[in-house]
Amino acid sequence: MTELALRTEGVGKQYRKSWALRDCTLALPAGGVIALVGPNGAGKTTLLRLAVGLLAPTTGMVEVLGHDVTASTPHTLSRVGFLAQDHPLYKRFTVAEMLRFGRACNLRFDKDLAERRLAKLGIPLDRRTGTLSGGQQAQVALALALAKRPDLLVLDEPVASLDPLARHEFLQTLMGAVAEGDVTVLFSSHVVHELERVCDHLIVLNNGRVTLAGDIDTLLAEHRLLMGPRTSADPAQGSSVVETVHSDRHTTLLVRDGGLPTAPGWQAHPVALEDLVLAYLRRPVEAA
Amino acid sequence: MTWLIWRQHRTEVCVLGLLVGIFGITLLVLGAQAHDLFPQGPAHCAGQAGLDDACTSSFRRLDDEYGFIENLLAAFYLVPVVIGAFLGAPLLARELEDGTWQLAWTQAVPRMRWLTAKLTALAGVTIALTGMFTAVLTWFRQPFDAWEGRFQYDSFDLQGLVPVAYALFAFAVATTAGAILRRSLPAFGVAFGAFLAARMGVALLARPAYATPLTTTEPIAPKSGNTDWTIEHGYANADGRRLSSTEYYDLESAANRAGTTLTQFLREQGVQQYRVYHPADRFWTFQLIETTLFIAVAAALVGVVVWRVRRRVI
Repeated sequence: MTELALRTEGVGKQYRKSWALRDCTLALPAGGVIALVGPNGAGKTTLLRLAVGLLAPTTGMVEVLGHDVTASTPHTLSRVGFLAQDHPLYKRFTVAEMLRFGRACNLRFDKDLAERRLAKLGIPLDRRTGTLSGGQQAQVALALALAKRPDLLVLDEPVASLDPLARHEFLQTLMGAVAEGDVTVLFSSHVVHELERVCDHLIVLNNGRVTLAGDIDTLLAEHRLLMGPRTSADPAQGSSVVETVHSDRHTTLLVRDGGLPTAPGWQAHPVALEDLVLAYLRRPVEAA
Repeated sequence: MTWLIWRQHRTEVCVLGLLVGIFGITLLVLGAQAHDLFPQGPAHCAGQAGLDDACTSSFRRLDDEYGFIENLLAAFYLVPVVIGAFLGAPLLARELEDGTWQLAWTQAVPRMRWLTAKLTALAGVTIALTGMFTAVLTWFRQPFDAWEGRFQYDSFDLQGLVPVAYALFAFAVATTAGAILRRSLPAFGVAFGAFLAARMGVALLARPAYATPLTTTEPIAPKSGNTDWTIEHGYANADGRRLSSTEYYDLESAANRAGTTLTQFLREQGVQQYRVYHPADRFWTFQLIETTLFIAVAAALVGVVVWRVRRRVI
């Protein structure tokens, strides 16, 4: 993996007086699926818009596939596909007109591919997009983004507004596309479960700051749960405790120690990805 | 891009085109009839020639038969703002309120090229529609202008170059307001308000000061048709000092007491009438000045939009 899909260095974004994102430094490898997780208002949309060049950072530098995105040359733009939150489409365009829009505004646009995808889903080309269901609109938006044959596909909360069935179908299409070509997918979500099944890489964003970032397998190997008698002492002897939970008689620690020998009387357990993410989201973060 | 711009804005363009067409054809039909009242053409009756019998009767018939239309023309003050603001307001605001700016600016067309194409095309439509309508209106007003001149508020503002400049101003205000407010309808409202305020302020305060007005003082004579733009007139005594309205009324009651007509009495007192005016031949100078003014403001506003889009403020 020589190429980085996305590299940010000290990126911050300020809206009027408040910072939506601060000191964000990331290096995301090309290939695979990257999840950006965080509560609402954490700065996920801001980070994704910065990544596709819709916003300019107040501080720092954003590089996509080795190019400065704010230069927005047709070449850079054509390598990145973006699916914004609520999958906006021109509501009065027919599906066919949306595809014509895609072809008119892109250097490469695989219209046949998009038409095939939509036909398979039974979405008629002559319907106005505004009259389609939410799930179908999302599929049209996805087909449009995939027809660019992007090297990096960025999706902002792609399934948040969809019902469970549409959500399943959408993810199926998305993962099918990932399997077919070597596209890097970066998507945000505030839904934590199911991530393990689809993602290779994880970024946790809280309060405008990156609190955790890394390869999921590595992160899971580095972290573990220690369970033992209730105590206020720190059996892990270090600053590696992510979270401490006390029950009546037990204390559970989430530590990031890379698997050091366990203190006597303590039991080590692997941690599930969902619990890991939740622990990082619960950690207090100084406001950005 | 051409197809996209047409597809996105064809509703506004068609509706405006239809309105301009309907009003334009109506004016052409009525105007042809009004022109027929002047067998030698309305221009022939302009100025002093307008005092001969044939022209006087033509003007009288014009006033009787078509005077009411001339009064209705005042409504066409709003044509430039309707055209400009309808086309300008949704340019950015609709993309911003529907979230489709994120779609438009993540395709391979860089946002500045997108913006340039849209601004050029829609400003072009604004110019074309307003220009066509103004051409018809300018022609329609020829008989009326031969009598009243082209400097009155119901004439100057409707013809020549200024309507296009007003329309571009409204277009620029609507586009800028749309970029800042991110909503079409409020942007349209802002453009409408700004248009009325700017037009009224400029027409009433700035326009008379585009050049130094001329002043004449002459013996009292019956009012004759003239096509100058009189901005002030009144009476001055024998020393040339202008009379206040109180002094004028005093003279009026003195004339009543003396039992002579006012005109007669004033002449005997050596009172003269004075007039502060812009001569009719300043029409194009004034048109150019006002056009430049509105286009300069429009250009500055477009600059703000370009800056915001380039700097990714939106």
